[in-house]
Amino acid sequence: MNALTTDLLVIGGGATGLGVAWDARLRGLSVVVLEQGDLGQGTSGRYHGLLHSGGRYAISDPASARDCARENAILRRIVPHTIEDTGGLFLAIPGDSQTYVEQWLAACRREGVAVDEISSSEALRREPLLNRSLLRAFLVQDAALDSFDLLHALAQAITRAGGAVLLRHRLERLTPRTQGFLAAASTPNGGLQHVEARVVVNAAGPFAGRIARLAGADLPLALGKGTMIAMATRLVNTVVNRLKSPADGDIIVPVGTVAVLGTTDTPVQEADDVGIEPWEIDLLLQEAAALVPSIEDHRPLRAWAGIRPLYRPPDASSQETRQLPRAHALIDHGAAGGPEGLVTIIGGKLTTYRRMAEDTVDLVAQQLASSARCRTGETVLSPPPRRFHRLPDRLDDLRPSGVVCECELISTVDIRRALEASGSAELDDLRRDLRLGMGPCQAAFCALRSAGILHSRDPRLNARAALESFLEERWRGLRPLMWGAGLRQLEFNRRVYMDLLGVDSP
Amino acid sequence: MNDVVIVGAGLAGLFAANLAARRGATVTLVARGRGGLSLAHGCISLGESDWDSLPSQHPLRLAGKDRLASALAAFLEITSSQGIPYSGQADLTLHLPTAAGSVQSVHLAPITLAAGEVEVPVDTLIANFDGFRDFSASLVADGMRRHGARATVVDLPIPDAPGSRDWYSTDWAMRFDDRWPAAEVARRWAPLLKGANRLGLPAILGLRKTTAASELQDLLALPLFEIPTLPPSLPGLRLERLLRRAALASGCRILEGSAAIGRIDGRHAAGRALGVVAATPAGPRPVDAGQVVLATGGALHRGWQAERSGRIHESVFDIPLPAASERDAWVGPSALGPQPYAAFGLSVNTSMQPCDASGRPYFDNVFACGGVLAGADRSRERNRQGIDLVTASAAVEAALA
Repeated sequence: MNALTTDLLVIGGGATGLGVAWDARLRGLSVVVLEQGDLGQGTSGRYHGLLHSGGRYAISDPASARDCARENAILRRIVPHTIEDTGGLFLAIPGDSQTYVEQWLAACRREGVAVDEISSSEALRREPLLNRSLLRAFLVQDAALDSFDLLHALAQAITRAGGAVLLRHRLERLTPRTQGFLAAASTPNGGLQHVEARVVVNAAGPFAGRIARLAGADLPLALGKGTMIAMATRLVNTVVNRLKSPADGDIIVPVGTVAVLGTTDTPVQEADDVGIEPWEIDLLLQEAAALVPSIEDHRPLRAWAGIRPLYRPPDASSQETRQLPRAHALIDHGAAGGPEGLVTIIGGKLTTYRRMAEDTVDLVAQQLASSARCRTGETVLSPPPRRFHRLPDRLDDLRPSGVVCECELISTVDIRRALEASGSAELDDLRRDLRLGMGPCQAAFCALRSAGILHSRDPRLNARAALESFLEERWRGLRPLMWGAGLRQLEFNRRVYMDLLGVDSP
Repeated sequence: MNDVVIVGAGLAGLFAANLAARRGATVTLVARGRGGLSLAHGCISLGESDWDSLPSQHPLRLAGKDRLASALAAFLEITSSQGIPYSGQADLTLHLPTAAGSVQSVHLAPITLAAGEVEVPVDTLIANFDGFRDFSASLVADGMRRHGARATVVDLPIPDAPGSRDWYSTDWAMRFDDRWPAAEVARRWAPLLKGANRLGLPAILGLRKTTAASELQDLLALPLFEIPTLPPSLPGLRLERLLRRAALASGCRILEGSAAIGRIDGRHAAGRALGVVAATPAGPRPVDAGQVVLATGGALHRGWQAERSGRIHESVFDIPLPAASERDAWVGPSALGPQPYAAFGLSVNTSMQPCDASGRPYFDNVFACGGVLAGADRSRERNRQGIDLVTASAAVEAALA
C-alpha cells in the first residue's frame, strides 16, 4: 500500500482548510490536504469577494465584528496581492432607522471597527451612481479580496514548504486506529490514495457532515444558500453596504471588472443545493436598486450560489440560518465522546479564515504535544509567479497577438501554461485558473478557441466533449438571468455553437 | 408612398425585399442594425424533410411546402446573378465540416463550401494558419475522419501574416480582396500540398471579391473548399452583401440604423397600419406604406423582447406574446438542449398575418416572416434559413396579393 504519512491531514481545500494546513506547516507539523474538487470549487470560490471591516456585524454579532476588524488589518499585511483596497461605505437612505444608525456607530466604536462619516455630497462625488437621496454615509475599511488568488497563494506556500495539496481527491474512508486515522481517498485516475495521519482536521465546509459520518462522528449542521449576481459593469469602486440590520441583498462589491450583488440566505438540505430561484434574483435586484437606482439599466452577467455551513448546536431551535452566529465553531470530537484525533472547524467567514486556522491548530498542537506558536499573522505570503485574476497584471503582460478571450484578456500562452500546470483536460478548470469565459460573452468565442488549443496539444483528448460541457457549465450561471440581454446572449451562443458550428451534431 | 415597407435586414427581410421589388413593388427596407448573417454559415438548411410531421402551427406548415420550390429557385437565381452561385437541392443533403469538428447537414451551399462534402472519398488536407484563432484545423480534420473521410492537417505559411494584433476573418478577407499575392502564395503552398486531392481552408477568401477562391484553385491546380469560421462568418457576410446589392439593383430603398415603430390608423375599425416611423439618426421619419412586413428576428435581434417582469412583447407594434409569466418556464435545463423561449414569437395565419389568441389578425395589412414567428426551435431543428425563405415568400405574396 502506497500510503502517505503525516502529522496532520486536512479535509477540504478551501480557505479554512488551506489556512489550517499553512498554519500547521509553519509550526513544523507535516501536512496533507485532500480536496475533492479544484481549488475554489466550493464555498470559498463562491463568495461575494468582500473583505469585511466588521461593520456589517457590529450589532448582530459583535464577536464576529471584532474578529473581522482584527483580521482585516492582518490580511492586508500578509496577502496584500489578493486585496484591492476599495474602502467601504455604509449608507442610510430614506426609510432607514435613524436610531439604528446611532446604535451602529456606538457598536462600531465598541468593537474596534473604524468608521468615518462623510457628507452625502462627498459620497455621491465618489460614487455617482448611488441613490441621490441618501441620508448618511460612513467610510469603513471594507475591501475586495480575490479568493482564487488567496487559495492559490496558500496552496503554493504549503507545497513549497513541503506539504501536499492533493486536488480531486475525495475522501472515501476514515478509519480510526490506535493512534490517529487511516484515510483513503479516490484519485482523479480512479485509484485510491491512503494517508496515515495522527490528527485529522475536517474543514470540508458544507460537506463536513459527510466527513464526520465517515469517522463515525455526529455533526449537526445548518446549511444556508447565499445567492449572488455579478453585474457586467463595475457600478461602484467602493464596497457599498446598506446601513441596516443585515438582510438579503444589501451589499455591492466591486470585483475586478464587475460588481457583485449579494446575498440571499435560504436554508437548504444538501451541500450541492445551489440552484437559484427567480425570486432570489428579483429580490437582489430590487434591494440593490435602493442603493444604485439605475441598476435595471445594467446587465446582470451571471448568478451563482454558495453554501454557508453553520454549526447548529444541539440546543439551537431557529430555522433561520441568518440568526445562527456567523462566528466559527471548533469541535474536538474526542473531547465530546467521539473519535479521538478528529477536529472539525466550521462556519466563520472568509475574512476570518486565518483566525479560524489559528484556533484550530492551537488545539491540534496541544493534541500533538507541540508548543510551537502561530506565525501566520506575521508571515507574508508570496504571490504566485503569475497572477491571472487582475486585469492590470494581464495588461502588463499582454502580448500583441494570441488573445483567446477578449473579455478577460487571456492569451494562448496563458492557456498552454495552465494546461501544462494542471494536467487537466477540463475547460472549466481553465476558467477557475484564468477566468476564461467569465466575461460578457460567456465563452461565445473563447470556448472554440481554447478547445482548438486543447485538441492540437493532445489529439487523443475529446475536445468536443470538453467544449460542450464548458458551454453547459457557463449556462448554469446564466440560467437564472434569462430575460433582456441575458436571453439574447444565450441565443447568440446557440446561433454560434449550434447553427454555425453544430457542436450538437455528430 | 411605398407599396410595402419591410422591417429587418436579415435573411428573411433581405429576401422579402428582393421578392417584392422583383414583382415591381415600391419597397423600403428599414433596419435597426445588421441581421444575423454574420453568425451564419451562409448555407440554406431546411431541416426535417417531412413537413407533415411538424406541428400544425409550425411556420413551415403555415407557409406551405408548395411554396418551397419557387422560393429556392428565386434564391438560386438571385445568388447566381450576383456572382456567388449556390449548389444543392431540397431533397438532397450536403454534409459539410464545421470549425468545431462536427458535420452539418444543409441543402444549398455556396459552391466553395459545397466542395467540402465529407462523404467524398478523397485525400483531403485542412489548412492550419498559425495564429488564426477562429478556426481549428486539428478539430476539423478529426471530425472529418470520424465521418470516414481521409483528412489531415497541413501548416500553410501566409505571406505578410499580421503580427501587430490578432486578425479576424474579415481582416483576412480584406487582404484577399485588396492585395493578395495569390501567385506567390500558390508557389509557396504547392510543394506542401503534393498528393492531396483537395484542400480545405477557413472561409476567409475574400468578401467583395467573389473570384478569390477560384483564382487560387486554378493557380494551385487543386480543388479548394472553405469551412466557416467563428463569427464574423464570411459566407454569411457574402450572402448578406449580395442580397443587399440585388435588392438595391431592383430598386429597393434601404434605410439603415433606424429602429421602426409601427404607425396605426386609430379610426380604422379592423386595425390598419399606416407604415412605420423610422427612428433615424437625424430624427424620426415616417415611412408610409400600404403593407408592412415584419422581418425583425427573434430573441437575439429583438423582434420581440422579454422583460424581467415576465412581459413579452413584439417590438414594432407592441403586440403581446403569449408565454408563461414565470421566467423559469422560458428556458430548459441545458443550453444546447430544447429551449421553450426559442419557439416564442408572433402567431400567424396562413397569410402570415399576426393573430390574437382567437386567430383574428391584429391588422389587415401587417405580415410577418422569419425569426419573429412563433412555433419553431430553429437552432435545434436546423431549419432557420428554410423558415426565412419560405415565410418571406409567403408574406410577400400575401402582402402584394
